[in-house]
Amino acid sequence: MTTITAPATPAQRVINVVKLQFANPWTTLILPWMILGIIFLANLAVWAIIFTAAPLEDRAEALEGLQWSGASTFIFVYMMVVAVQTIAVTFPFALGYGVTRRDYYLGSALAFVILSVMYSVGLTILSVIEQATNGWGLGGRMFTAIYFGDGGWVSRLFIFFVLFLFFFFVGAAIATVWVRWKANGLTAFFVALGAVLIGAAALITLTSSWGQVGSFFASSGFVGSYAWSLVITVLAGVLGFFILRRATPKS
Amino acid sequence: MTSVVEVSGLTKRFGAVTAVDNVSFSIEENKIYGLLGRNGAGKTTIMQLLTGQDFASSGSIQVFGQSPVENAKVLQRISFIKESQRYPEDFRVKHVFKSAPWFFAGWDQEFAERLIDDFRLPMNRVIKKLSRGQLSSIGVIVGLASRAPLTFFDEPYLGLDAVARQIFYDRLLADYAEHPRTVILSTHLIDEVADLLEHVLVIDEGRIIIDDDAETLRGTATTVVGTRAAVDAFVHGRDVLHRDGIGGLASITVAGLSPAHRQEATAAGLELSPVSLQQLIIRRTNTSEKEFEVSA
Repeated sequence: MTTITAPATPAQRVINVVKLQFANPWTTLILPWMILGIIFLANLAVWAIIFTAAPLEDRAEALEGLQWSGASTFIFVYMMVVAVQTIAVTFPFALGYGVTRRDYYLGSALAFVILSVMYSVGLTILSVIEQATNGWGLGGRMFTAIYFGDGGWVSRLFIFFVLFLFFFFVGAAIATVWVRWKANGLTAFFVALGAVLIGAAALITLTSSWGQVGSFFASSGFVGSYAWSLVITVLAGVLGFFILRRATPKS
Repeated sequence: MTSVVEVSGLTKRFGAVTAVDNVSFSIEENKIYGLLGRNGAGKTTIMQLLTGQDFASSGSIQVFGQSPVENAKVLQRISFIKESQRYPEDFRVKHVFKSAPWFFAGWDQEFAERLIDDFRLPMNRVIKKLSRGQLSSIGVIVGLASRAPLTFFDEPYLGLDAVARQIFYDRLLADYAEHPRTVILSTHLIDEVADLLEHVLVIDEGRIIIDDDAETLRGTATTVVGTRAAVDAFVHGRDVLHRDGIGGLASITVAGLSPAHRQEATAAGLELSPVSLQQLIIRRTNTSEKEFEVSA
């Protein structure tokens, strides 16, 4: 007789999918930190050049400009790509292992949340060091760029975390559209998205409400404005789940 | 006999194409089944339906007494690495074997390691740099070492050389003897696996045209060889599956000969020879095509 082994509990099945997503840490953990490190070193070189080259009286102005650094924005976009790739390749693979779509999606979502925690904590620690060393001794700004808020490290941690969640789950939702409907689905999706964005812009322009939109974000503040992205994140997360429930692994 | 799979009236359409057409069959526990048919006959589609990877257009599927769709209780007991299985591109071979045990309760690590040695699989190679045969070996090893109560092998030996194929057959039989389970082997290369199979399902153009015990099936047809006149006289009025001949000699495959008929043939100086499973299925598949043309 075949040995009867106790079936995995629902929680264990979801955790197995999380483990699967981390089975090869290269793409999700090692490579992003390596790229970030290289970008950081390049920035360090640039800061050093500015610091030594700019005449003393212009230095303050030059350093002032560094707060607009976009050097660390790549990592958010990169994570969206990771989410898209991960879902596209591990979905058919996990189904081959007899995983249900439900367990697969919940496990992958949990993996994305874990990654968001890891990266936002990492970036926050770097931002604290950046502040403490007065911009790595050169007045540089990479992890305390102006978009990451004007508050302390707690608000930055929140903003990083919310941003990562946003890019992971929007990426995941786009990937589920791809897995279920392939290229046609993606085309339809982006056409629809474009229509919604243009429609919203038109509506705001025609009703001359840009001022109100501006003051809404101004009154919400950095933290409040970023918190609103959670609406889209949750929407993307829920949509992704229902899209994937009826997807089939096509070869 | 307990059946692990019960399928009735199963149909799967992809747009205008009917890949599986009103199919009914059942699979009994702890037997080795052959799911045979030509390329594109619907073998993979049936397996995807049985494993909940695809959704039926109509009909019912019961695996271990329940629908397999999104049913973890059922799917945990199934291993199905399909021929076109995609692996994460950045995975190395070792990552597959690191993760597989998490999903199969019956996984035997020692057995897996022995198989990896047998098939000389390079553990550190990136998946996308593997040859077709090495990719097939991964599927074969996961299928064997997972020891799932219901194991599917979909064209398991594409790209494998003769030695590797023999290793697969030997390991499958030996392990099956020690750990009985239900195995469904899908292939269009029938002769090589003929001896492994206990039961045969032949699918053609989405329909099951043969569902029979392998032993019984072998007895259902015989080739009669002799002079053209003698053979023609003997087969007159019988169900002729195939004709061949050179000069004055003829070789004709006929269906169902009783012992009395056999004696009659021997008395008439004719030679009788068994038909291989592959020959038999080719004949039957042709027949069904002809019938299809007539009815259309």
